Amino acid sequence: MNEALLAVQEVTKYFGGLKALDQVNFEVNTGEILGLIGPNGAGKTVCFNLISGVYGASSGRIVFNGRRTDGTAPHQVAKLGVGRTFQIVKPFASLSVLENVLVARGIARYPKLSKIWSSWKSRSEGQKGLKMLNRVGLADLAHRKAGLLPLGNLRRLEIARALTVGTRLLLLDESFSGLRHEEITNLETLIRGIRDDGITVLLIEHNMRVAMGLCDRLVVLDHGHKIAEGPPGAIQQDERVIAAYLGRKGTKDAA
Amino acid sequence: MNAYVITIATIITIYAIVVCGLNVIVGFAGQISLGHAAFFGIGAYSAALLATKAGLSFWAALPLVIVITAFIGLLLGLPSLRVKEDFLAITTIGINFIVEAIFLYVPFFGGALGIGGIPRIMLFGVKLKGFGFFYLCLFFLLLVLIFCWWFTRSWGGLACFALREDESAAASMGISPVRFKLLAFVVGTAIAGLGGALYAHYIRFISAGDFSFSVSVLLLSMVVLGGMGTLWGPVLGALILGALPEVFRPLVDYRYLFYMLLLLLMIRFQPGGLLGEGSLVRRRFTRTLHKQQDDI
Repeated sequence: MNEALLAVQEVTKYFGGLKALDQVNFEVNTGEILGLIGPNGAGKTVCFNLISGVYGASSGRIVFNGRRTDGTAPHQVAKLGVGRTFQIVKPFASLSVLENVLVARGIARYPKLSKIWSSWKSRSEGQKGLKMLNRVGLADLAHRKAGLLPLGNLRRLEIARALTVGTRLLLLDESFSGLRHEEITNLETLIRGIRDDGITVLLIEHNMRVAMGLCDRLVVLDHGHKIAEGPPGAIQQDERVIAAYLGRKGTKDAA
Repeated sequence: MNAYVITIATIITIYAIVVCGLNVIVGFAGQISLGHAAFFGIGAYSAALLATKAGLSFWAALPLVIVITAFIGLLLGLPSLRVKEDFLAITTIGINFIVEAIFLYVPFFGGALGIGGIPRIMLFGVKLKGFGFFYLCLFFLLLVLIFCWWFTRSWGGLACFALREDESAAASMGISPVRFKLLAFVVGTAIAGLGGALYAHYIRFISAGDFSFSVSVLLLSMVVLGGMGTLWGPVLGALILGALPEVFRPLVDYRYLFYMLLLLLMIRFQPGGLLGEGSLVRRRFTRTLHKQQDDI
């Protein structure tokens, strides 16, 4: 755990009069798994959308790999090696599973008009795509239509796509939600493997057991504020975190 | 075949070319356009003007026509493609009306009289008419189909498919939505320009009414009927919707009723188009294919 790969500095985001994020600060260190947790509406996904360039920040800075990226368009952020998944899965439904991954493999070509005319249906591209699918355990379903896959497989497919793009930083938005118990265990193993390959992971998670077990550090958001940051053990004991999730002692006992 | 049939066949082939272009925009990139006839018209008018005023031959003018149409497509696409879905449909309808009005009211474009006296196409010293022109159109249709087939296999085409399926997911994979929508729009309008040039030299008298909004609706109906995003769908759509009014001609004014009935039935029972995903034709075809494979 050495220098920061991603730094979110004093970031504030307004939607009209609503302050979704208020002066949020945190850093993601190279090679760690950092969990972003917090109750519903805390601003976690807003934070992801700011990092991946979907929104611009109202104020503050986002620095990725020594370079300021707030205000950079999503496709340019992706080009820097940041891959992401979506809370509500967004497969390219009418394309095959393999084609979904191949779309991501084109990332180096898309910015150059001269490079987009060659064929993607080559054997070597197909094999590289299959290799990536193999890694997330979807190789058997390569030629199935993506829209027909069940949720667990779609989440893996999104990870395969994001991993193809996110050679440095992977943003996982609630990849565990809606999964069965064994699927959760498999996905945990996969994410640890990704980290061991040198890819930094920032993930949003609602399942506390998963977040505590998987993450090296946690950042807790509540109503747009960062209320705590630290290793899972310390977060579990943090009074502000407990209050944010369960409510303060004595305030709602009557109910 | 008599001259009447050849005329219908030629017109259908020209429509098929234009519809292939619309399919790149609507079928491949998923951007609705209800103003495609405007670009068909821009192609036809530039070909007509280059032939009658500048005295260029069809062959010398053709590259220019395609470049002019594609360039105007780029200019008009740039602001239009920033809006989505219903708004894009309305914007493109607006483009159609404006372009048609310019043809109709600017004296340079012949005004209400249109442009007449467009020369026939010469090939190897022979004036093309009848069968000769029909074969020329078929040749260009084949070129367009080969281009479209190749486009679906290119990285640019794949990026367009991804955009069609989900814009934000595509952007997270390094695909600039604006750039690739524009690419599809420019390719589609360039193909419409080619169709327009052929049309002008075939009909030899063009006026603004040939490129009205109702033509755009017809073109879009052809794409939808044949199957959006398929290679042969536009050809089939142009064939059916081009031939039906002729087949139903004895019914006089009632033929459009049948026409609409057919479209409604399509939307109800084959929403993906005749050759689209999960369509009857495709299911039957794959079943036969599997059976043949099993036999081997």
